[in-house]
Amino acid sequence: MNSAQIEIQLIASLVAIACAIPGTFLVLRKMALITDAISHSILPGIVIGFFITHDLSSPLLILLATASGVLTVVLVEFIQKTGLVKEDTAIGLVFPALFSIGIILISKNASDVHLDIDAVLLGELAFAPFDRITVGTTDLGPKSLWIIGSILITTLLLLIAFFKELKVSTFDKGLAASLGFSPAIIHYGLMTVSSVTTVGAFDAVGAILVIALMIAPAATAYLLTQDLKKMLLLATLFGITGAILGYWSAHLLDASISGSITTVLGIVFLLVYLFAKNKGLISVLYRQKQQQKEVLLLTFLLHLHNHSDEEEERKVAHLNDHINWQKVKSRTVLSLALKNNMITIDNQIIALTDKGKTFTEEAINYIITNKDTEIEKMKDRFFLFRG
Amino acid sequence: MEDQIAVKIDDLTVAYDYKPVLWDIDLAIPEGVLMAIVGPNGAGKSTLIKAILDILKPIAGSVEIYGKPYKKNRALVAYVPQKGSVDWDFPTTALDVVMMGTYGSLGWIKRPGQKEKKAALEALEKVGMLSFKSRQISQLSGGQQQRIFLARALVQNASIYFMDEPFQGVDATTEKAIINILKELRKAGKTVVVVHHDLQTVPEYFDWVTFLNVKKIATGPVKDIFNDDNLTKTYGINYKVAITQ
Repeated sequence: MNSAQIEIQLIASLVAIACAIPGTFLVLRKMALITDAISHSILPGIVIGFFITHDLSSPLLILLATASGVLTVVLVEFIQKTGLVKEDTAIGLVFPALFSIGIILISKNASDVHLDIDAVLLGELAFAPFDRITVGTTDLGPKSLWIIGSILITTLLLLIAFFKELKVSTFDKGLAASLGFSPAIIHYGLMTVSSVTTVGAFDAVGAILVIALMIAPAATAYLLTQDLKKMLLLATLFGITGAILGYWSAHLLDASISGSITTVLGIVFLLVYLFAKNKGLISVLYRQKQQQKEVLLLTFLLHLHNHSDEEEERKVAHLNDHINWQKVKSRTVLSLALKNNMITIDNQIIALTDKGKTFTEEAINYIITNKDTEIEKMKDRFFLFRG
Repeated sequence: MEDQIAVKIDDLTVAYDYKPVLWDIDLAIPEGVLMAIVGPNGAGKSTLIKAILDILKPIAGSVEIYGKPYKKNRALVAYVPQKGSVDWDFPTTALDVVMMGTYGSLGWIKRPGQKEKKAALEALEKVGMLSFKSRQISQLSGGQQQRIFLARALVQNASIYFMDEPFQGVDATTEKAIINILKELRKAGKTVVVVHHDLQTVPEYFDWVTFLNVKKIATGPVKDIFNDDNLTKTYGINYKVAITQ
């Protein structure tokens, strides 16, 4: 690895971490769409800033772009408050308007400024090491590294200082307000951090792909943990994984770095979505299947229980007629009950064992009383009661 | 009983989009009562609590907690929002939710420590949920979630408790457990204000009641004012249907 390669991976990783932190809270607040809006509507801020400074990484440009990002949020909320349209519609109205102002500004002045839309939307990580900060003859490293580094440090400090406030206002806005933690201040704080991060990252990965870095790692982490701190940590790790693996895939495929990073993030999400222990698709399908089986088993046991003194009702052959099940289904249920030692079959007549009887009675009792205390015992043994 | 007034509300009007949901409410809640706020859907019951707690800004009127604005006496107040107002899939545990009750006394930036954790564990024990402390909140039943919310209010160690429909969607055992805790709070001299739906249980659970339907209809001891006249004024002629619902 040469130093440019290391620098690119370092920048990509820092961008990923800086995005994953606000991204985690945005995902939990169900505000993923707002990053889409912010990433587009910072464009007029960037363009105006660029007209003034002629420098894509000047602080004034970052300030103006952040302001137009926050303005998006204000406008969205303003439109939403009229009660005429829903939030998604409001977002859909605001950001294309701001974005198109940016586009028009660029195209009107395209002849005399060096700023093209592709660069803003897609960024080019590969060029990051060329734009360096030098003092006299000393090389201090790539400019983007400094920008995103400072944004990341600020974000981390804010996260550590206001973790408790962010958590309570994300979970329970009403409680936060009643405790004196103004949800509005925290909301706009988070929106400002998201905007600054988007602006700081657009140069490297492009304004659009910032969305992927904010949402995908957080969404992936959400599937794996039930602890906010772990979710932040996992989101960060997924972000870095995407950055490094994405860089090397781009290297191998000779393709766009930011495109490859996003693809890797997507693949990681897909894998986790399929295989996550509790929330994963496969595990959910398995659970549903088990629950279905258990419902059938319970129905069957209840039938036996209700007719414990009528042999006619408990004949294997009668199951198909009486409970109205297909043969396959009856066989599945019978073998499940047998396997769990809940029934015995003697001369084609089914009888509940003691274990089966106790279980059935417990289940009936739970279904009738619906007491919380009962369910805990059942949960350990059956998927059915795990919700 | 001419007690001290815990909460005093004067000329309170709250509007959503210029449509008043609470109109010119005057209400004095005496210290040490266990009060139900009753009224039909859309009567502004939750809104009243939110306006008292500074969550909503009224367009007119004032609220005083022991003679001072809410902002000055925040520490005296605990709040239990409607269970449905939060996302129970949030990645956190029962203990952590209860700890949130301590955040108010900590203020900005300061983090909860051992003292706060101990208080939270005690509150969990009081509501019979100690063995669930590490359980992820989405894995709790509706009744258990409500108990967690109650524990979170208890940990605030307040003088006044506001609860928004704490009996909504809970099983009978939890309902009994909650009302016992509320009665204990009253015994300890606390003031408890509950948005309540089930008119049948009002005389059994509460000693004070406020009838609300955009305007205040009546407020006072249950034994004096919980009658057909006020019920009709609040719910309209078919209040008996409302009772049996």
